[in-house]
Amino acid sequence: MAMVVGSRRRRRLQAGLVYTALIALAVIFLFPVLWVLGLSLKTRLQVFADPPLFIWWPTLENYIDVLGRSDFLLAFVNTLVVAGSAVTLSLCVGVPAAYAFARFPFTGRSFLFFALLVMRMLPPIAVLVPMYVLFSKLGLATTRLSVVLAYSTFALPLVVWLMRGFFEDLPKELEESAWIDGAGRYRAFVHIVLPLAKPGMVAAGILCLQLAWNDFLFAAVLTNNATQTLPVKMMSFSAGDSGVDWGGLTASGMLVILPVIIFSFAAQRYLVAGLSSGAVKG
Amino acid sequence: MSTLNRRRLLMAAAAGGVMMPILAQNKPDKLVYLGDNQGGWKRTLTEEVGPAFEKETGIKVEFTLLPPDAWLARLKAEMGAGSSGVDITQWSVGMGGWVSPHMLDHNEVLARITARDPGFDWNDFLAGSKLAASYDGKLSGIPYRITTGILVFQKALLAKAGFAVAPGTFAQFHKAALAVNAPPDRYAFGLMGKQGPGLYPSLASWLYSAGGRLLDFKTGEIFINDDKAVTALQFMADLVVKDKLTPPEVTTWEFDDITAGGQRDRYVMAQTFAPYMTLMNDPVLSKTGGNWFADTVPGYTDKSQSRTWVDGHFLAVSKYAKNADWSIEFIRMACSKEWQLRSMERGNAPPRGSVLNDPAMAEKLGWPPTAARAIETGVPTPAHPAWSTLELALRTGVSETLQGQKTAKQALDAVAADWQRTLRRAGIGRA
Amino acid sequence: MVVSGREVARPAVVSVRTAERGAWALRGFSLDRAFTAIAVLPTFVVMLCIFGIPLLFSLYLSFTGWALDQALMGGEFVGLANYEDLMNDPVFIGSLGITFGYTAASVAAQMMLGLAIALLLNIDLPYMRVLRTALVVPMMITPIVGALCWKLLLEPSLGFFNYLIGQKIVWLGMPATALLSVWVVSVWQSTPYVALILLAGLRSLPSEPLEAAAIDGANRRQSFWHVTLPLLRPYLLVALLLRVIFEFRAFDNIYALTGGGPANATMVLSMFTYLTSFVRFDFSLGAAASWIMLLISMITCLFFIATIRRRDAN
Repeated sequence: MAMVVGSRRRRRLQAGLVYTALIALAVIFLFPVLWVLGLSLKTRLQVFADPPLFIWWPTLENYIDVLGRSDFLLAFVNTLVVAGSAVTLSLCVGVPAAYAFARFPFTGRSFLFFALLVMRMLPPIAVLVPMYVLFSKLGLATTRLSVVLAYSTFALPLVVWLMRGFFEDLPKELEESAWIDGAGRYRAFVHIVLPLAKPGMVAAGILCLQLAWNDFLFAAVLTNNATQTLPVKMMSFSAGDSGVDWGGLTASGMLVILPVIIFSFAAQRYLVAGLSSGAVKG
Repeated sequence: MSTLNRRRLLMAAAAGGVMMPILAQNKPDKLVYLGDNQGGWKRTLTEEVGPAFEKETGIKVEFTLLPPDAWLARLKAEMGAGSSGVDITQWSVGMGGWVSPHMLDHNEVLARITARDPGFDWNDFLAGSKLAASYDGKLSGIPYRITTGILVFQKALLAKAGFAVAPGTFAQFHKAALAVNAPPDRYAFGLMGKQGPGLYPSLASWLYSAGGRLLDFKTGEIFINDDKAVTALQFMADLVVKDKLTPPEVTTWEFDDITAGGQRDRYVMAQTFAPYMTLMNDPVLSKTGGNWFADTVPGYTDKSQSRTWVDGHFLAVSKYAKNADWSIEFIRMACSKEWQLRSMERGNAPPRGSVLNDPAMAEKLGWPPTAARAIETGVPTPAHPAWSTLELALRTGVSETLQGQKTAKQALDAVAADWQRTLRRAGIGRA
Repeated sequence: MVVSGREVARPAVVSVRTAERGAWALRGFSLDRAFTAIAVLPTFVVMLCIFGIPLLFSLYLSFTGWALDQALMGGEFVGLANYEDLMNDPVFIGSLGITFGYTAASVAAQMMLGLAIALLLNIDLPYMRVLRTALVVPMMITPIVGALCWKLLLEPSLGFFNYLIGQKIVWLGMPATALLSVWVVSVWQSTPYVALILLAGLRSLPSEPLEAAAIDGANRRQSFWHVTLPLLRPYLLVALLLRVIFEFRAFDNIYALTGGGPANATMVLSMFTYLTSFVRFDFSLGAAASWIMLLISMITCLFFIATIRRRDAN
C-alpha cells in the first residue's frame, strides 16, 4: 500500500471512468425498451409525430385497451399456468436426476448425460410438426398440457446440466454422514441436499421460466384461442387492418415482458450464484 | 351499423323468401372456425355474423385466428390427422391443392344451401371466384373474399401533372410516374418490396399484363424467364432502382405497410389489393382520405391487355367435421347477399357481382366495380401444392432485382433453374 | 475440475471418512442403484417420449421424398436424395455461409463485450448492484418483443435511430445493413448472458494468485493476461459454447426483423429450415436440413468438450 494522496485521486478518476462506461452501456441496453415503453404511452397521432416527441403527456389508453380485451387476460393466465407448470415439472423431474448423475456412478452415466446434452443442441423446429402429430393422436393437441410437455423437454437438459454441476460442487460428506446415520437416500436428498441447492434451483427455475414464457413458435402451433399464450396473442396485434396497431403492439409487448423482468430481478443474486457453480462443471 | 344498412339488411332478409328449417342434426355447443389473423376483413364474421348465428341457433362460433404460418401448420396437422376439431375451415387459393382432398364436395354443400335458401343465388358469384374455389375440377369451398390487384392513384395529383386519366399502358405509367415523383416527401409509386409474401402480388399484375406466365403444372414447362416475364420484372425493377420512383423503404413493405404508406401520403400510385383503398380513403386513419381512385392495372402496350392476379379466401367444411349441417348453415349466412354487402362496408372484398356493382357501394368505396372487372379476367394464384416452394424461389429473384444485385434476366434465369430442381423433386412433368 | 481454491481444504476431511466408507459401501451400493433408477428414469421417459420419438420420426422423414398432397407423412424412401438436394441448393449453401459468419461475428462481439462488462462490474464500487440489474435487462426480454423494439427504433421515418443520425437509412431494407442490424440486436440481447457467467467466474476466483502477481511486480495488464484469463478459462469456454450453440440456431430475431431477406442476406439455417417446413411444406427436406444443423451442433459440442477435458487433464 504505497502512495496515498495521488492514488486516491487516481482511484476517483478511475471510478469515474468505470461509472461512465457502465452507465453508457446501461443506457444503450435499456434504451430500446424505454423507447417502446414510450411508444406504448403515446396516442396514435403522437406516435407519428415527426420529429419524434420526447416530452408529452403520457396516456394509458393503449394499456386500458389491451387489458380490456378479455382474450389478452386469458392469454396472460394461460402463460402463467403454462410457464409455472413447465418450471415445476422440469425441476421436479430434473433435479433428482441431476443429483443421481452427480453422485452415483452408474453404468452408462456418461453416455446418458451426453445424450441429454445432444438433445439440448437440436433446433426445436425439427420436432415441431412430429410433436404436434403425437399430441394430436393423444388427444392433447390444443391443450396447455401439450405446451407444458414441449417446454419441459427443452428445459430438462438445461436443468440437469446446471444442477449436476451444482451438486458436484457440494461436499459429499454431509449426505454420507446422513447415510451412515441411517437416513435413506431419499430423506438425505430432500432434507440435506435440497436446501443447499436452492440457489442453483432458483437459477435453473428462472432460465426455465424464461424459456417457457418467451416461446412463440410452439405455442402458436400447439394452442388455440382458449389456450394461447402471450407471445402468440401479441403477434396478432402486428396484423391490424388500419396499418399496424402501434399502441396495441407496444403496450402488449410491455405487458408480456414485465412479469419475467420483475421475477428475474427479484431472484437475481440466485442467478449469478447458480450460474457460477452449475454452469462451469461438465 | 348505419340505419340505412340495417334497413336494407332486414328488407333483403325478408325478400329472400321462406327458408327451410335446418335439419335437426344434434346441436353442438360450439363451432370452431380456423382462419388467419391478418387484416380486418374478418371483422364482420367475428363481430356480427358470429353473434347473429348464435342468436338464431344457440350455437357459439369460436374463432381461432392464427398468424399465417401457424394457421397453415395447424390446418395441415388437423387435416393430416383427420381431426374433427375444425368445423369451419377457411382456406386461401394457394392452399387449394392440398386442402381440396380433405374437403367435402361443395357442389353438394351448395345443393343443401340452395335447398334451404333459394335466394342464395350461386350465379351471383363471379366466374373468377368459382374457378379459384375449385381444384382439379372439384368445388372445395364457398368464396367469401376475393382480392385482386387494381391501380389506386391520387387523382388530383395526377391531374395536376397533366394526366386526366389513369395511365393505361406501361409507357404511360412510366411517363406519369416521372411527372409526379416528388422526393423525398412523396414518391410516384409504392409497392410491397420486402422479401416475403408480398412480392408475388407486386409482380403479378405487371407479369400478366405483359403476357407473361409462370409455368405449366401439368407439363412442367417453365415460362418465368421468357422475354415477356423478363420485360415485366425489369420494368418494375427499373422504377425502383434506375428511376428511383419509389420510397426507399419499400424494400421493408408488406401488406400493412403499403396501406400505411398510402395513408401517410408517401406515394401517388400503387398496384395493390382492391379493398386496401377503403383504408387509404378513410379520413380518420389517413392523411390522404378521399384522394384515392381506382382503375384496372395498365396493359403492356394497350389497355385491353390489362391482367391481374386473383386470390381469395373460402369457407369450407372438411370431410371430418362432425357438425356439418350447422357449419353449412354458418357458411350460408356468412356468404349470403345481405351479409356480404355488410362485410364490404367493413373491409371485405366479396365475390358477388351484385354486391360489387351495387351503386351505393360503388359510390361510397370507389373500387368495387373496378375489382369486378379485374376479377372477370383475373389469373388465380396457383393452387398446386408445389407453388409455395416455387414462390419462395421467385421471391429471392425479385428481391435481388429490386436490390439492384441482378438484372431481371439473370434473376429469373436463376429462378427457373431452381424451379427445375423443385419440379424434379416434386415429380411434375417430364422428369 | 474444482476451482483451485477449494482443493486445499479437502484432504484432511477425506482421510477420516475412508475407513467408514468401505464398511457400508456394499450395502450402500444397492440403495444407490434403487435411488438412481427412480431419480433418473422420469427424465428419460419424458425425453424419449416427447422428444425422442419426434426426433426419430424426423430422421425417418429426412430419408423420404416429398409428398405434395400428403399433409404430414413423407413419400417413399429416397435414401440420401434430400441431403443431395440440399447440397446442390445455392440458397442452402449460402445459408450455411451466412450462419457461420453470423455466429462467429455475434459470439465474438458478445464474448468481448461481455468480458469487458464483467470486469467493470467486478470492481468494488457502490451502486454496482443497480448497474448490474440494468445491464441484465435485454436478456430477460422475450426475443420477439426485443426484436420488435429494435424494428421500431430502426424504422426509416419514425424511428429514433434515424432521427439521431439525421439520415433516412432503410436499415432492414438493404442486404448489408439488414445483416448488420440483426447482428446488433443479437449482441444487445445476449451480451448480458455472457457477462453474468463471466462475472460469476470472476467472483469465484481466488485472490491469492492475483496478490502474488502484484507482489511479484506485475502490472495490471500482465496480471490480467497471465493470471486472470487463464483462471477464467472454464467460464470462458462454457460461455463460448453456449453462445455458439444458441447463435447457430438463432431464429426469433431474424423472423421478427427480416424474415430472411432482403435478397436472402439474413437467411440463417433455422430460417431456411422454417421456410422449408412451414412455408414450402416440404417436411422431408426440412427434416434433412434440421439434421444437418444437428450434426454440425453435435460436432461443435464434441470439439468443445474434448478441449475442456484435454486441458483439465494437463
